[in-house]
Amino acid sequence: MFAGLDVVTLSRLQFALTAIFHMLWPVLSTGMAIFLVVLEALWLRTRNPLYYHQSRFWAKLYVLNFGIGVASGLPMEFQFGTNWAPLSEFAGDFFGSVLGFEGAMAFMLEAGFLGIMLFGWHKVPPAIHFLSTVMVAFGANLSVFWILSANSWLQSPSGGTFSDGHFHVQNYFAAINNPFMVRSVIHMALATVETSMLVVAAISAWSLMRQKAPEFFLFSFQLALVILLAVAPLQILAGHESAVQVAELQPTKLAAIEALWDDQPAGTSPAWAVLAAPDEASGRNRWSLSVPRAFSWILETRPRLSQPLRGLNSWPADQRPPMVGLLFYSFRLMVAVGLAAAALMAISLLLWWRGGLSAASFARWPWFSWAWILSAPAGYLAIEAGWVVRCVGRQPWTVYGELRTTDAASVLPAAEVLTSLSVFAVIYSVLLVLALYFGARIIARGPDLTLEPPNGLAAASLSVPDASS
Amino acid sequence: MEFLEWFMPTVWFVILALFLLLYVILDGFDLGVGILSLTSPGESQRTILMTSLGNVWDANETWLVLMGGALFGAFPLAYGTILKALYGPIYLMILGLILRAVAFEFRENATTKRPWNLMFGIGSLLAAASQGICLGTVLSGIPTDAAGHFTGSAWIWVNPSSLLVALTLIQGYVLIGSTYLILKTSGELQRLHVRTARLAAATTLVGALLITVTAPFASDTLRQRLFDPAFLPFFVVLPLLGVVLIVQLYRSLAMRQEVWPFVYTVFLFILSFLGLGVMVFPAVIPPSVMIFQASSSVSSMVFMLTFIGVLIPIMLFYNIYNYIAFRGKVSAE
Repeated sequence: MFAGLDVVTLSRLQFALTAIFHMLWPVLSTGMAIFLVVLEALWLRTRNPLYYHQSRFWAKLYVLNFGIGVASGLPMEFQFGTNWAPLSEFAGDFFGSVLGFEGAMAFMLEAGFLGIMLFGWHKVPPAIHFLSTVMVAFGANLSVFWILSANSWLQSPSGGTFSDGHFHVQNYFAAINNPFMVRSVIHMALATVETSMLVVAAISAWSLMRQKAPEFFLFSFQLALVILLAVAPLQILAGHESAVQVAELQPTKLAAIEALWDDQPAGTSPAWAVLAAPDEASGRNRWSLSVPRAFSWILETRPRLSQPLRGLNSWPADQRPPMVGLLFYSFRLMVAVGLAAAALMAISLLLWWRGGLSAASFARWPWFSWAWILSAPAGYLAIEAGWVVRCVGRQPWTVYGELRTTDAASVLPAAEVLTSLSVFAVIYSVLLVLALYFGARIIARGPDLTLEPPNGLAAASLSVPDASS
Repeated sequence: MEFLEWFMPTVWFVILALFLLLYVILDGFDLGVGILSLTSPGESQRTILMTSLGNVWDANETWLVLMGGALFGAFPLAYGTILKALYGPIYLMILGLILRAVAFEFRENATTKRPWNLMFGIGSLLAAASQGICLGTVLSGIPTDAAGHFTGSAWIWVNPSSLLVALTLIQGYVLIGSTYLILKTSGELQRLHVRTARLAAATTLVGALLITVTAPFASDTLRQRLFDPAFLPFFVVLPLLGVVLIVQLYRSLAMRQEVWPFVYTVFLFILSFLGLGVMVFPAVIPPSVMIFQASSSVSSMVFMLTFIGVLIPIMLFYNIYNYIAFRGKVSAE
């Protein structure tokens, strides 16, 4: 299948494959960690065993997910050396330091406290256990910060100068705080929380539809919904802000995600394509389904463009991204999922408010349960699509405007990369199936409501039932 | 500035050596226990072995990630050149570590444990062997051009001397894994691992002797360094200390001590590590690329040091706390 491809393409395919697979796991490690912090705080405050059992059940899925995340993260780091040695040398001064910080600040924090969080309930005092859970969540979110800072630097390199084939850092804080950093970190952090809560809600909906542990899963669903209601509108705003920034800093990417071929002068009011068939050879869309005059409303929330927009045809072919169709539809997929999820939340809130959201509603309305169940894979798809937009849209550059992807890849025997790529493709497919299988087993088995809470705290819950609720 | 250009790469060489040493000791016993799990007589014993790693394996593996990141930041040239030269064994190691990690999580949830047991043991063995091959290849030298870029073949790591190092490292991991299990288990299982520790100490010693004897033939640079009068004290004192530690290790095993075998093994690891460090320093891509040529800019190294330097004691602190919280024997829950 991959035979006959050149080594740069093979290395790109390998990076894409390993990144797309790896991305699936840290989403829960970051987003669900915050959920676990909330649950444990509730448990410590109220001593209600329900919250303790919530913590223990969701942590089971968390750890299954975490192991695969750690393991599949290794090739991400090492590929910079094995397959992208020229990039390592070109940008190592900054890029390498950031990966070092990530290891020392984020990964180690998360890994160092994970053991206590998972197995330490009966080994350490409750306060230390809570601190460990907080540290795991904090560590995971710090990695979001560092990874997104590093990736944003590739998108909008700043903080130094480029000469004789190297990036020389002049101001580290300017490089870390590069133009894309803040909005990208926020967008991704919200994405992990939103998708994780969609996963919790989906599993809860599935169990409620079958009337398994209804009290338990109704609470999980409601807590996830409350968090989602806070996060989803912010995410739509963050997504919009990111797109506005792309228009400003990476006009080639914006033109590609909108399949915009011709220049649009300021003061005009172009149509916005909902669907299109971009044709790179002829530099136009073969057909498109457009909303007239909508473009400037979507991008600038005003009737006419205040700035001119450049179309793809205004750049030479080697200075704009390929695969316009992929970018165009990935972007739409991400946006559609974000909006559909928000609509589902609004409907659910309305039901809840009108008193119609009970454990029985999920069995009564299978369409409602299924909408929630499908929202979880949709959340993951949206994240993957977002990363495709981000990284394919940056092409042909690895370091935007400074280092081409063809110059960033190591010169290696193609057979070597083909071998590792094929092995990854096989192993990762098997791993995904197995992870889903074992995850399904955990869900099918359901929570263990007989687990004894740690010593001392159980007695407290007996003598003062629901003390503060 | 002159001073910093010499000093900062040296500091980072030492920090990287520290991360690597911590990795080799800590994940060394994880991988050793993983290899030993292949020989466990039954499922309950294997469960104890795996439980003894449950709370630590992930943090231990993170020292490798940290070492990788720091090598990338401090010596980007070495990162690119060494990893490119070791493409094969690096991916075999990653494969082994992936198999080890997922087997751990899958076994927990599986009714049929056997496939995951095998995957756990074989993953650990594969990771250990690949690490040995990487170490052996780096020690015997990586051919580069004047700019420090790799010029050798894709199969440079296939040779007798890296195979020897790989076999020895596996023995060393089994040794430290056995002494860790002496610390964490009791009864029949503990007696079993006193026996595996004895055996592994002997095979590790044989391997170490063979490496020492054949090192002068593996590369010219190693030969010159070994017979350099300036380094003579090192190469006399280190083996002598090694002999003392081996004797002490066997005595503590004979006396059925629980803590000391592990401690002596850790010291043996430190000693071997020092020996290897002295053999290559100040090369970071042996034989010809020195730390001063491969390092990132001084300001970059200073910046990294201010962050990571502060974090090193903090990381050590909470990692040690993790071990303290789970101290004592493992019981099959």
